[in-house]
Amino acid sequence: MKKLLTTILSLGIAASAALAANPAISATKVSESLDGIKADSPLWSKAKFETLTLYPQSSIEFNDKKANALVENAKGKKAQVAALYDGKNIAVMVKWADKTKDVEQCMSSDVYTDGFAVQFAGSTKKAQPLPYIGMGSEGRPVVVHLQKATAKVYEPNGNKDVSTQINRQQTGVFGKELAEYDAKVASLAKTDYEKVFVAEGFRSTTEVKDNSVKSNGAMVHGPAGWSGTLVRALKDDYVNLNGTVPVAIAVWDGSTMGRNGLKNLSSWVAINLEGQKSATAMVAELTTESKGDALKGKEAAMTNGCNGCHQIEATDPKSFMAPSLKNIGGYSTSAYLRESILKPSAVVVPGYNRNAHVNTPWYNLEKGKRVSTMTDYSFLDKETVDNIVAYLKTLKAEVE
Amino acid sequence: MSKRQLAMVMDLNKCIGCQTCTVACKTQWTNRNGREYMYWNNVETYPGTGYPKNWMELGGGFDAAGDLQPGVIPNLEADYGVPWDYNYESLMGGQSDSNHFHPHVSPTWGPNWDEDEGAGAFPQDNYFFYLPRICNHCTNPGCLSACPRDAIFKREEDGVVLVDLDRCQGYRYCIAGCPYKKIYFNPKISKSEKCILCFPRIEQGLPPACAQQCVGRIRFVGFLDDEESQVHKLVHKYKVALGLRSDYGTQPNVYYIPPTESPAKFDAEGKIIEGSTRLPVEELEKLFGPAVHDAIKTLKAEMKKRKETGVSELMDLLIAYQHSDMFRLDNNYYQQVARDNKRNPLAPVDTRYIAGKFTKAGGHH
Repeated sequence: MKKLLTTILSLGIAASAALAANPAISATKVSESLDGIKADSPLWSKAKFETLTLYPQSSIEFNDKKANALVENAKGKKAQVAALYDGKNIAVMVKWADKTKDVEQCMSSDVYTDGFAVQFAGSTKKAQPLPYIGMGSEGRPVVVHLQKATAKVYEPNGNKDVSTQINRQQTGVFGKELAEYDAKVASLAKTDYEKVFVAEGFRSTTEVKDNSVKSNGAMVHGPAGWSGTLVRALKDDYVNLNGTVPVAIAVWDGSTMGRNGLKNLSSWVAINLEGQKSATAMVAELTTESKGDALKGKEAAMTNGCNGCHQIEATDPKSFMAPSLKNIGGYSTSAYLRESILKPSAVVVPGYNRNAHVNTPWYNLEKGKRVSTMTDYSFLDKETVDNIVAYLKTLKAEVE
Repeated sequence: MSKRQLAMVMDLNKCIGCQTCTVACKTQWTNRNGREYMYWNNVETYPGTGYPKNWMELGGGFDAAGDLQPGVIPNLEADYGVPWDYNYESLMGGQSDSNHFHPHVSPTWGPNWDEDEGAGAFPQDNYFFYLPRICNHCTNPGCLSACPRDAIFKREEDGVVLVDLDRCQGYRYCIAGCPYKKIYFNPKISKSEKCILCFPRIEQGLPPACAQQCVGRIRFVGFLDDEESQVHKLVHKYKVALGLRSDYGTQPNVYYIPPTESPAKFDAEGKIIEGSTRLPVEELEKLFGPAVHDAIKTLKAEMKKRKETGVSELMDLLIAYQHSDMFRLDNNYYQQVARDNKRNPLAPVDTRYIAGKFTKAGGHH
């Protein structure tokens, strides 16, 4: 029986390893301006769509009981992604299936919305390794564009207009005057939930509110699901996009209480700007699977006690001590996995507030730096590390 | 843990459930801008479902191992209650097809829906008391620990727990993490909001609106480390003020004098059963922990002492002859904090993130 299981397991691993990594996307150059481009623009007919797989984020579990039950067996999602550029701007379109249209009506305490985000690597002197997929890492910033589906809503604190901050019932006026008041409030309504963040790691995320990023996001729902578009400048204070542009895509589903980490995300994906010199090494890294032997890697992971702290496969017990690895293959690059094995403190995701799980500290603060409590595995030989990385790359949920 | 901690003590023997505190808070903070359904201060009947509905069963807080427990985010209609309004407009304008006064929605639930129901059999042994609740400004806040964005902070100067609305992105894990469900989601601005302990008043040396307005004079406010403060004496010296559901592990800083005085029960003939008390002490133990027994003993002993000798510091404190005897706040302290940090004393004490650490062009406001 055990042997049979091993055979099935090895077949399973072989089968999932055979699944290609996400392909590179070729961004078509257009002569028209991409300023304000939306999903219905005819320019998109020039774009070449590629299919990416977005996996459920499960590195850390949040404390929402209902949401956790809904995402317990979350699956990977397919998304069609394409890009255009015009020399000044880059536009990205993401199309994904979503049967329920969840739009924020701003009326309830426990309703969540559909949305999508595009993450760009911030400009740094060293392009590699890429920032940590979840909101970047120290010294490796990211810029994240978030678009959510929101109904027209009046956000009264936005423009310090005190006279319209009271409720209509408390205006003391009726009839025509009240209708005028309603119209004034509606005219001040914000209709778009679009935000840009800069981050150097989970928890450090800060919204850009000084208009130093020029971008425009939009979402349209059709019979096939959502089409989201995002256009932003190729170059600003935060990014300098040329040649190969690494991006990561995330989508949220309101019907499973998606928000923040409760989402599906891709690993880094290379967008090659057509006609420009692409970063061959990075493209190769992002489009080919790890070469190691996954089955040997699984054995090595066991002998080295990885499951002492990590939940490795979905069937393993959960742990607060270390990130769950059950979908790690879906959204991590091989380079990141290798780095985390050899230099555990290179990227320490703040994860939980340490107050939340005081007895399982997965990092200590030493001189203001986060130092991982994980053993340094740099003593392992290269082949074993390759094998473990190959195994970790197989860890991902089924795809819808 | 903050350097100093403000605390409030509420004397449940004196609360008459008049909701003046609720109204003081509502008109000051929550009658507008998506906060209409929120009651940062509420007074519920105990035993009862409370506000929001069955809040004690919705999870959050910490287990004995110190791990944050998952929780449930209440529903606005079913658990908090829609703040309904009446058809003034159509009645006043003569547009209504009926001349009845009615709410704009058909409410199914609201705060105090089960007010005064209590428990026990009427008239033999029915009982209830009022439980006023605000944010506990905990020493180990569940909301703060649950926030994945560090948008919630505890002020060093006085331990007030606040939401940084600039960082909050409306994920609502804080609501799941708070065992008291005293942090609320504002659907209009998609951010969480909560009791701020009236810090703009506190910084001027004034008590919070709920405490200032309390007609029963049940609320004492001060710094726990100030040995002259009423709260220090009640919590630490006499140990008669206890945290609510301390078993949630958040170390609440709102303390309660347990209700010791309840009427005696009636027997089958309707006669008073001498020496009986309607309020089961087990209920009080559930709310305030095992220390409630000693607190009750102390309170009874001091009452007796006062009756016999006319002298009891504790009783004098609890009687609160002068309104001003209930608060020990310090405007100069906050002024000094502002001076030490070279800040405008009128600005909020905590200005973290205003510069926007990760944005480049000189702050994001």
